[in-house]
Amino acid sequence: MTKPAKNPAARWPAAVKVAGAIGLVLAITLTPAPRPAWFGVEAAVLCLVLIAGRVSPVVVLRRLAWLSPFVAGAALAAAWSPHGTDWRILALRSGLCLATVIILARTTTFGDLLGVLRQARVPALLITTLALMHRYLFVLRDESGRMGRARSARTFTRGRRFAWLAAASVVGQLFVRASARAERIYDAMCARGWTS
Amino acid sequence: MSTAIDVRQLGFRYPDGTAALADISFGIEAGECVGLLGPNGSGKSTLLRHLNGILPERLPARDGSIRIEGKLVSDENVATVRRRTGLLFQDPDDQLFCGTVQEDVAFGPRQLGLEPAECERRTREALEQVGLTHLAQRPPHHLSAGEKRRACLAGVLACTPGILALDEPTSGLDPRGRRELMALLRGIPATKLIATHDLEFVVELCPRSLLLDGGRVIADGATENLLNDEALMLAHGLERPHILQHRHPHVGDLVFDAATHK
Repeated sequence: MTKPAKNPAARWPAAVKVAGAIGLVLAITLTPAPRPAWFGVEAAVLCLVLIAGRVSPVVVLRRLAWLSPFVAGAALAAAWSPHGTDWRILALRSGLCLATVIILARTTTFGDLLGVLRQARVPALLITTLALMHRYLFVLRDESGRMGRARSARTFTRGRRFAWLAAASVVGQLFVRASARAERIYDAMCARGWTS
Repeated sequence: MSTAIDVRQLGFRYPDGTAALADISFGIEAGECVGLLGPNGSGKSTLLRHLNGILPERLPARDGSIRIEGKLVSDENVATVRRRTGLLFQDPDDQLFCGTVQEDVAFGPRQLGLEPAECERRTREALEQVGLTHLAQRPPHHLSAGEKRRACLAGVLACTPGILALDEPTSGLDPRGRRELMALLRGIPATKLIATHDLEFVVELCPRSLLLDGGRVIADGATENLLNDEALMLAHGLERPHILQHRHPHVGDLVFDAATHK
């Protein structure tokens, strides 16, 4: 999840945004295929949210482009399936659902989302796990960046095979370091009274 | 004066067989500030983890014993021991595991089962103490190294421990961050055991020091006497700090006072 931009929509109550996003995703998913005009209404709702919340459409489109391989994959699978949904409808549906989630992420901090989950009485252990995952994604990203730079500083060949091998070793090292860090984090939690 | 930390004949081996501590014995009185010196791999961090009951994994220790404020570190007492001993980890990223600084500082008080209002009060006071109130809502990965270190300390102080076990508190700090940390630690009345390679920091803060090497206590005494013993320092991978080399031979009691800058 990215850092939400400082738009007016960031000040809207998180619970309302989450409920709205879930409602919209459900509506998009349940829209009957023979009535494609309904998708237009749902897209219009998203556009209204973009305008009212002053969320940059360029950023939303860019994120959507990053995630487009997943949409394309689902559409391709549908295109080859003999009795499946029309691939165009499926692509439209996935695209609109993703846009909804992207707008939610652009307007709500992860902490606020966790707050909503807490209010919805989601089990505390799951919330703690999600919070830890979010916290350490950035640490791991920085760590992999540092290892990548260290690797580049001592890479003297342009060979693609070598680059792949080195990248694989970075991934392996990252896994080992992540697991060692997980143990240290658990120790730090215990040191301040964590018991479960 | 009562004994805050009492370690007797403590030994420890990691599961892979590496001997980390052997026959460690020392006592620290309440309110003392003691430096824990030694080269890399000498067992400083391992010893600090024992004081909080993080190590050994199965309590009580098989070799020797540890008493924190008179209580044996055992399975029954581990919760009390952890409440009394605040452990500051070497890498702040290991210790700051919550989404915001405020949540992280509140973690300890919440684990103590305190009322929300009391948790909030302690969190606020700890953040004020370390001067991070303005960064309370920041995610830890947006803090500088010094700020992270102070946030870690706030998390420990919010549990109001009687003993502070600090692992390399000055690593990664710039001179200003180091100076601020020193002033902060001076103002905390708790018993302090500080593992560090920053010998000048120890000279300025700790009247007494323990020298560890190969998992054993090599020397225990006045910091200045230990650090002035050049042969001892070199034999154990350390060196006489700069601050002592420039000391006037006829001035016996004052090295450098960071508070007055004299």
